[in-house]
Amino acid sequence: MAKRTEVLVSGFGGQGVVRIGQALSLAAVYQGLYTTMLISHGTETRGGYVRSQVVMSEEPIDSPVVENPDYFCALSKAAYNRFKHLVSHGVIIYDPGYVEPDPNLNVKQIPLNARDLAEKELGRELFANAIVMGALSKLMSGLLDKDIVIKAMLERIPRFHEENKKAFELGYSLL
Amino acid sequence: MKRTLDTGNAAITEGAIIAGCRLFAGYPITPATEIAENMSRRLPQVGGYYLQAEDELAALHICVGASLGGLKAMTATSGPGYILYADPYGWAIGSEIPVVIVNAQRVGPVSGITGAPGQGEFYLSRYPTQGGNFETIVLAPNSVQEAFTLTVEAFYLAERFRTPVTLLADQLVTDGWETLIIPETEEEIQAMGLKVIPRRINEGPEFYPATDEIDIPPVVLGHNTGAACSDWTPTAEGYDTEEVEWQHKHAYRLIYKIRNHKDLITRYESYFLEDDPEVILVSYGSPSRVVKSAVKAAREKGLKVGGLRLISLWPFPDEIFTKTAKYLSVELNYDGQLVREVQRAMPKGSEVHFMGKCGELPTVAELMELIEALIKGQPLKAKPWEMEAW
Amino acid sequence: MDYLATKYLRPRKIPSTACSGCGLGQIHKKVVKAIDELGLDVGDVVWGTGIGCAGRQTFATWKGDNFAGTHGRVYALATGLRIALPPNKKIILTVGDGDAFGIGFNHLLNCARRNVDLTVIVCDNLGYMSTGGQYGWTTPEGYRTDSSPYGMWEPNWMQGGRDVLNILREAGATFLARHTSIEGQEAVESIKKAILNKGFSLVHMPYPCVTNFAERALGSRRPAVMYKWFKERTVKLNERVDEKALGDIYFRTGIYYDASNSRPEFAEALRNRVAEIQRRFR
Ligand SMILES: Cc1ncc(C[n+]2csc(CCOP(=O)(O)OP(=O)(O)O)c2C)c(N)n1
Ligand code: SF4
Ligand SMILES: [Mg+2]
Repeated sequence: MAKRTEVLVSGFGGQGVVRIGQALSLAAVYQGLYTTMLISHGTETRGGYVRSQVVMSEEPIDSPVVENPDYFCALSKAAYNRFKHLVSHGVIIYDPGYVEPDPNLNVKQIPLNARDLAEKELGRELFANAIVMGALSKLMSGLLDKDIVIKAMLERIPRFHEENKKAFELGYSLL
Repeated sequence: MKRTLDTGNAAITEGAIIAGCRLFAGYPITPATEIAENMSRRLPQVGGYYLQAEDELAALHICVGASLGGLKAMTATSGPGYILYADPYGWAIGSEIPVVIVNAQRVGPVSGITGAPGQGEFYLSRYPTQGGNFETIVLAPNSVQEAFTLTVEAFYLAERFRTPVTLLADQLVTDGWETLIIPETEEEIQAMGLKVIPRRINEGPEFYPATDEIDIPPVVLGHNTGAACSDWTPTAEGYDTEEVEWQHKHAYRLIYKIRNHKDLITRYESYFLEDDPEVILVSYGSPSRVVKSAVKAAREKGLKVGGLRLISLWPFPDEIFTKTAKYLSVELNYDGQLVREVQRAMPKGSEVHFMGKCGELPTVAELMELIEALIKGQPLKAKPWEMEAW
Repeated sequence: MDYLATKYLRPRKIPSTACSGCGLGQIHKKVVKAIDELGLDVGDVVWGTGIGCAGRQTFATWKGDNFAGTHGRVYALATGLRIALPPNKKIILTVGDGDAFGIGFNHLLNCARRNVDLTVIVCDNLGYMSTGGQYGWTTPEGYRTDSSPYGMWEPNWMQGGRDVLNILREAGATFLARHTSIEGQEAVESIKKAILNKGFSLVHMPYPCVTNFAERALGSRRPAVMYKWFKERTVKLNERVDEKALGDIYFRTGIYYDASNSRPEFAEALRNRVAEIQRRFR
């Protein structure tokens, strides 16, 4: 594994940005990795985004700042535009329901229709974040065990466990 | 050992409980509210008391009063509450009452930006009250795990030195999530090197001896020891006096019990200091995490860079500034606070430069740019308030 | 005061350093007498004070344990202490009017709301006297002090239909009384009741300051003048008087409100609650 894996999740309040970060971090802890997660609760006056910066490593982590994300998950237009330039070698996962991808970016960009799918397949937008978690888990399967991510996710989500598991599997199967 | 993912706020709560804290009085304020909330849940489970006070003045006074009655106590706040502590903080310093105070620093002045990290109370924590004639003890964690261990340490030092100890954290440390390892048995507590001393009771009649000695039990009321403690200058027995000789003795004690035992307090970390660094980055709290990454990255590039991370801030560890070098102080403020102490402590022939940021951490990339410029002897320009030769 | 002083007070602090003719000693003595008549020992009482004449002159006079808070904050300090101390220890505070009804009023009201088991004796010399004699929140309307050279014009807590004890009652205090220092055993009896109440008790005790208040307000430092002034204005609660004819401040004295032991005491309620939660988590 690479020495240090950086994940940036950003969107607006209520999309589960913090939860996604928590589930990944917690899974990392369960796998014996070191992890840090910084949460910036942006209000409208501060750019209108919420951001989780997650770092995982086999060694103790010095800087907790995500400067060069391996995975950038953009769940809003503001978040995408603000942080897309940080990505140099990683991938961007974006929700086309909110984000119009920049064709000039020289990195891999993967659309993930989480909001629409959650509504169509599971009946509620609420489950979009579990779809995202599933997709990230697939992408990060070299590092994090799927079952452990699911366990961590359910610990961080108090309700609707069956639906969330379904949503997770859906996300996992898409990528 | 319990291995979890948690916040600095939770780490401080658990540290306090392991240290024997049994009373917390607080007042809601971002980003320290979560400590109060955690305490309100955890303390009753271990037989402790949680109170919400009418204001921060009352919060710390209630803690000090409880400590005066024999309970270990803690409060937590951020800048706007920390300034309201001035009155009880002074009372506890003068009457030599152990208590632990957490300040999760945010961006100031005044209310500033509530949920973003700052480092504006470096000097305030040295002079948290009026009148002078005292030293303070201040510890600064830079991780969730260290927030835990330093909270235990803060209680330990508070008991030994009979004085308030401030844990000067910042929003990223308190709100940030990280791997947290918590000991669950007595053996594990010891294995982690954590030290806990129970409250002792001063039997008198000399409650305020004119000595720099530590490990003197504090005044505890309710045991009919005939103790007296007040905001006035005390005689050895605690009587209020206006005699300058007693004032001198009291001041001597408050200053030198700490100065003369500084080695028991001072904690720091250094990187590559023995390797002829031309540039030394100085920091404390959350920025020091990025600084460490930057120093390592610079060394990988073959640059002669070192780092000093302060864990105890006050009394200021002058003695660790032994290298003549170009110092770069990296802080979460724009006015440069640590930089002045570095300037005072560094050997002749050194330079000190400043990199300030507020609300978010600097990046490794930003620091590398500065390190390279300093090594090449180029002036630091860019935004004048951010990077400036001091 | 010999018998009481030997039993309860420290020779080092008696006689006190208060000005001669000051009424503070009368209050101090009544509190000690009440303690004695209740059969309490030195170790049963922890004595706290505020700042100012009231605080400084009574601090560390008690043979047992003593503390003094900063100006106005001793109520919060005592709240923390109350939680830490065994419930049978009495905490008695002697404080000034500025301390209690001015700078510390917020803490005082919150102690009343919580019903913290404290006995607060407010030694009211009608203003800020240890600082030389400035008006405070009980200074009678129209009277001159060093900071009201043209007469006290601000509304106070005592006149114009206001009574500070009403506010404390509304706030939740469970025992309230008022006596001037020149009264006798009836004041001691009220103090005893205040001490016996397991909850927040306050006794408001106006007393003559001869050095500062009397000098400016009455134009004389002679104790006789000041004592006469007090005597004319000390009126029992149930006494019928022609209030209009008095035309000035007067002090309605007696037990103003007695709801002793009617509300849960704060520290005890907190202890019970914690014990109950702890049981659940064992
Ligand atoms: C915070 C603070 N403000 C002001 C003072 C100055 N001060 C000392 S004693 C005093 C007067 C207090 O008045 P009161 O409580 O009525 O007591 P008295 O002296 O009248 O008995 C004042 C204002 C102080 N010690 N602390
Ligand atoms: S100044 Fe007034 S209240 Fe103070 S001690 Fe003298 S007479 Fe008493
Ligand atoms: Mg007064």
